[in-house]
Amino acid sequence: MSKTRNQATSPLRSRLSQHNQAFHQSLNQLWQHSLSTWITLAAIAIALSLPAGLYILLGNLKTLTDDKREVPTISVYINQNITAQQAQDRAELLSELNDIENVKLIKREDGLKHMQQVAGVQDIIDTVGGNPLPHVLVVTPRMSLFGDPGVDLDALAQRLKNYPEVDSVQMDIEWVQRLRAIMQIAERVVLVVAVLLGLTVLLVVGNTIRLNIENRKEEIEVTQLVGATTSYIRRPFLYSGFWYGFFGGILSLVIVHVSLLFLIPPVDKLANLYGSQYNITGLGVWVTLIILVSSSFLGLSGAWLAVSQHLRKQFAMQDT
Amino acid sequence: MIELQDVSKKYPTGQIALYNVNLKLRKGEMAFLTGISGAGKSTLLKLIALLDRPTAGNVLIDNFDISQLKQNQVANYRRSIGVIFQDHHLLSDRTIFDNVALPLMISGMRPQDIERRVHAALDKVNLLVKEKDYPMMLSAGEKQRVGIARAVVNKPSIILADEPTGNLDPVLAADIMQTFLQFNDLGATILIASHDQPLVERMGKRIIELQKVKSR
Repeated sequence: MSKTRNQATSPLRSRLSQHNQAFHQSLNQLWQHSLSTWITLAAIAIALSLPAGLYILLGNLKTLTDDKREVPTISVYINQNITAQQAQDRAELLSELNDIENVKLIKREDGLKHMQQVAGVQDIIDTVGGNPLPHVLVVTPRMSLFGDPGVDLDALAQRLKNYPEVDSVQMDIEWVQRLRAIMQIAERVVLVVAVLLGLTVLLVVGNTIRLNIENRKEEIEVTQLVGATTSYIRRPFLYSGFWYGFFGGILSLVIVHVSLLFLIPPVDKLANLYGSQYNITGLGVWVTLIILVSSSFLGLSGAWLAVSQHLRKQFAMQDT
Repeated sequence: MIELQDVSKKYPTGQIALYNVNLKLRKGEMAFLTGISGAGKSTLLKLIALLDRPTAGNVLIDNFDISQLKQNQVANYRRSIGVIFQDHHLLSDRTIFDNVALPLMISGMRPQDIERRVHAALDKVNLLVKEKDYPMMLSAGEKQRVGIARAVVNKPSIILADEPTGNLDPVLAADIMQTFLQFNDLGATILIASHDQPLVERMGKRIIELQKVKSR
């Protein structure tokens, strides 16, 4: 009789069939216990939304500082009585110096145009009368020298100040550097939060699967009695863990994007008040994929740990 | 085909269930295990089904010592035998069809083959009309027959049954024994534990009587 057993079943087809069973069985289980499923998914989604939200916040703060100010520059304010041509001549002379990368002239007319775009500033300009702005030279030190202890930016600034056309000099790098240092700390904080909340997802899924195992103990025992392998027993729970992670990840993305939609109007309003065209940026395709893959992996891992622990305990009991 | 060599089983509590049991069952043979309650009938079947392991001695199937099988090989072995439990071990949230299909699903068989085999097995135990019912809708005798269908659906070469007629009336019990005879006629080796001495004697098959081990 045994010779005819499983005659039509190849190992690959058999494995595919088992995966197909586990796939549908796990989705059915989630559907049948929809309330507890939603509670678990919500817990996972909230845990994932927090680091994702902080990541967006950091990304946007970076964008704010990611323009040319990222490069250390020195603003050189030219005396009011100096003409645009004289300022241009000084700019060309300065750009030939070894320790200067380039010099950009912002004419007072261009500066005024830019200022007029900022809401509320026009009134101040009207009150002052005429154009109160000077020509400005934006000096960028040579990049290869930046960060070299031998280069003294303060000394360069002092030298620039000594030119007769120059009224005053302002270093534009300190606040950016400070902000960057703060953001580096913030990045670490986000990383720590992400790791801790990732562990939370692992524990939430692990505990949910552990409860599922408890509820299906009888089924596990019976399937073992009729010849189920540990892989067969493990498989539907692994699929469940995967679904918890995957759907939890999707829900977290929904939460993050809805929150962004909620934030966009006030941020746009604030940006307009500063005359900026700044737009909030979201997660992007890659980060979205990373979140989905990570959450699915965490769900899978949580399920693996829970089932392995159960099977280990069971085998230990059988051995005694 | 089935051979027990000096098999003993002592539980961690100190209770000795079996002591130096020797037994040989030929391929295609049908035999009954009898003995008073506590004589070790269920324990012996569990050792053959590898639901438990002996503390001493060897259990050989086709001259292979199954006590040496590792945990991951046990599942494959269990799929090659059919076990009928006194308390049925049916899944209450699954239909009769799904319960009988369980060993085939574990084997990863194609759905159309599963359907064909399950229908054939349920037909043999006259329960085809109940395939969509749930276990709680069946009588004790019907549940027992579902257990038999599940045990034979994989066409095992060995069938072990632990008190299959335990809670049944004499007519149903005789009916179920006839079913076993049919499987035996098809070549299966069958070992049935039963305390129903008159029924066992009426079957005209080999009877192996286990004596209860005295406390040592």
